[in-house]
Amino acid sequence: MPAEGSTSAGVTPLPSAPGLPPAIVGSPGGPDPVTGGGLLGGDPFRRRSRLFRTERGRVVTSTVSTLAVLGGIVTAFLLAPGSRQVRSVFFNAHDMWRAFIGDPHTGFYSVGKGILLNIEMFLVAEVLILVLALVIALVRQSRSPVLFPLRMLAIAYVDFFRGVPLILVIFAIGFGLPALYLPVISYQSAVVYGVGALVIAYSAYVSEVYRAGLNSVPFSQIASARSLGLRPRTALRYVVLPQAVRTIIPPLLNDFISLQKDTALVAVLGVVIEANRAAQIFSSTVFNYSGFTVAAILFLLLTIPLARFTDHLIARDRARRLAGST
Amino acid sequence: MIFRRLAVAVAVVVAGTGLGLAGMSVPSGASPRTEGPGNTAPLRSCTYSAIQPFLYSPGHLTVATDAPAYAPWFEHNRPSDGKGYESAVAYAVAKRLGFKPSQVKWVVETFNASYAPGPKHFDFDINEISVTKTRAKAVTFSSGYYTDEEALVALKGSPITKHHTPAALKTYVYGAEIGTTALQYINSRIHPIHTPATFTTLNDVKSALVDHRIAAFVTDTPTAQYIATTEIKHATVIGQFPVSNQHYGLLFQKGDRLVKCVDKAIAVLKRTGVLHRLAKKYLRVYTSIPVIKP
Repeated sequence: MPAEGSTSAGVTPLPSAPGLPPAIVGSPGGPDPVTGGGLLGGDPFRRRSRLFRTERGRVVTSTVSTLAVLGGIVTAFLLAPGSRQVRSVFFNAHDMWRAFIGDPHTGFYSVGKGILLNIEMFLVAEVLILVLALVIALVRQSRSPVLFPLRMLAIAYVDFFRGVPLILVIFAIGFGLPALYLPVISYQSAVVYGVGALVIAYSAYVSEVYRAGLNSVPFSQIASARSLGLRPRTALRYVVLPQAVRTIIPPLLNDFISLQKDTALVAVLGVVIEANRAAQIFSSTVFNYSGFTVAAILFLLLTIPLARFTDHLIARDRARRLAGST
Repeated sequence: MIFRRLAVAVAVVVAGTGLGLAGMSVPSGASPRTEGPGNTAPLRSCTYSAIQPFLYSPGHLTVATDAPAYAPWFEHNRPSDGKGYESAVAYAVAKRLGFKPSQVKWVVETFNASYAPGPKHFDFDINEISVTKTRAKAVTFSSGYYTDEEALVALKGSPITKHHTPAALKTYVYGAEIGTTALQYINSRIHPIHTPATFTTLNDVKSALVDHRIAAFVTDTPTAQYIATTEIKHATVIGQFPVSNQHYGLLFQKGDRLVKCVDKAIAVLKRTGVLHRLAKKYLRVYTSIPVIKP
């Protein structure tokens, strides 16, 4: 107990220290003569804790808290000295619309049309990556001595393409292959080179995800499968892979969300006018970044549903596992 | 429990910060920082001492350009040697404003960042930037120091060098550097069937031409001439488009007051023939280029 001011000490610290439990705030030895009044309804801490206990109270509190946070951020943004200029440069509704629909005669392309190209590249790349990455992962997991050189190659491949920045891979393939003047290979469109580079680089990442999944399947599963008379290949197909893939769906989708965004990098090859490049051209033509905001919104519209879908899969998988364990 | 209380505490702090900021900025007015650092006095004269408070770094004229700095606007990617048209113009402007060459400080500013809102870290940017009305909403431009003409570059012996009637011109695949008015030129004048290729840098455009990924590209005439005569020996300038009335301007922060003095300096450089002489020296005046009408 503080020697002086003990009467006020029981009352005033409460509003300023709502995080402290009452045992600390109140007097340790028996009821305090002053805080006794607080127990009759004047104690803000007890009221708040009761608020948290009811469902409605929780909703109200979280709403108020959310509004306070968002309100604070928005207020800070709106009242910042340069706010007006930032808003007109990044969030100008008229310019956002112009960037969305595009106007080639003024020198810029539609960001809305560009996103369709992103989606196309993403879908094609995703299918190819799933196949190539699985092949790499299986090669790395193989035990056969005959496959040793392939195993080494797979390790080198993964090390190399995970380590090299994606943009350099895109440059090397997109500018390097045409310069070789090889038949067929050197005469593809930039989109093909770009998607090819994405597949090559992302397969390295995704193969590691596969490998983690394959390793997560307990050896007892393989042993039981073999003891039931399944051949190694059949055991892999019907016992190991289904379990492995189920485990890795969340990290796989994680990689695919980032693949969606990385399709924008293909634009460095020139002919590819995807959403990000269209926004870049818009901004450099009219000196306004609103096109980037449009592209960002479009990318969010693509990735947020995918993220929610991932959450859903995780929740479903968890529910199934828990159900299985009881 | 702890987390929720933490969240409430954070909310209160953030809201408080917002209000605090509000309190701070309301009296000073919510106007963006388009003026020199902390001074609102008008710029009365353009003498060396009068302009000091209006400089990014007093005692220096801070000039920005992109890296790499391309010839013939700069030489050997070295803006500070005073060679190349734009480098020479920057030093000529600096001299008119009373600076010694050693007081000119060069900084790198990429084109895409040069028009960002917020404070600029240079007095002006000189980077072959075409002045347009929409662009002038975001930045302030000086008066023109060069009239922009665009030309078409292709490899010698390629089909476009022989067939470039307005109808034939529509059938080729063109390239341009993004952010340049060349793309606008291609789309609004030539109306090609194929979408033109846009590249991040001029070097990418050049490599695309050499690798036959594009049939031709559009760039300003001096650059086109430089590339065809010096950089890509088997390239040629097919022709120049009719004059467009576009010019290059120095880029300033929106509302920068130094532009008044720089405009005066440019006017003097124009009247006394300095700009013409520099153009002749570095850009040469090419009269032999045929004009093609798309």
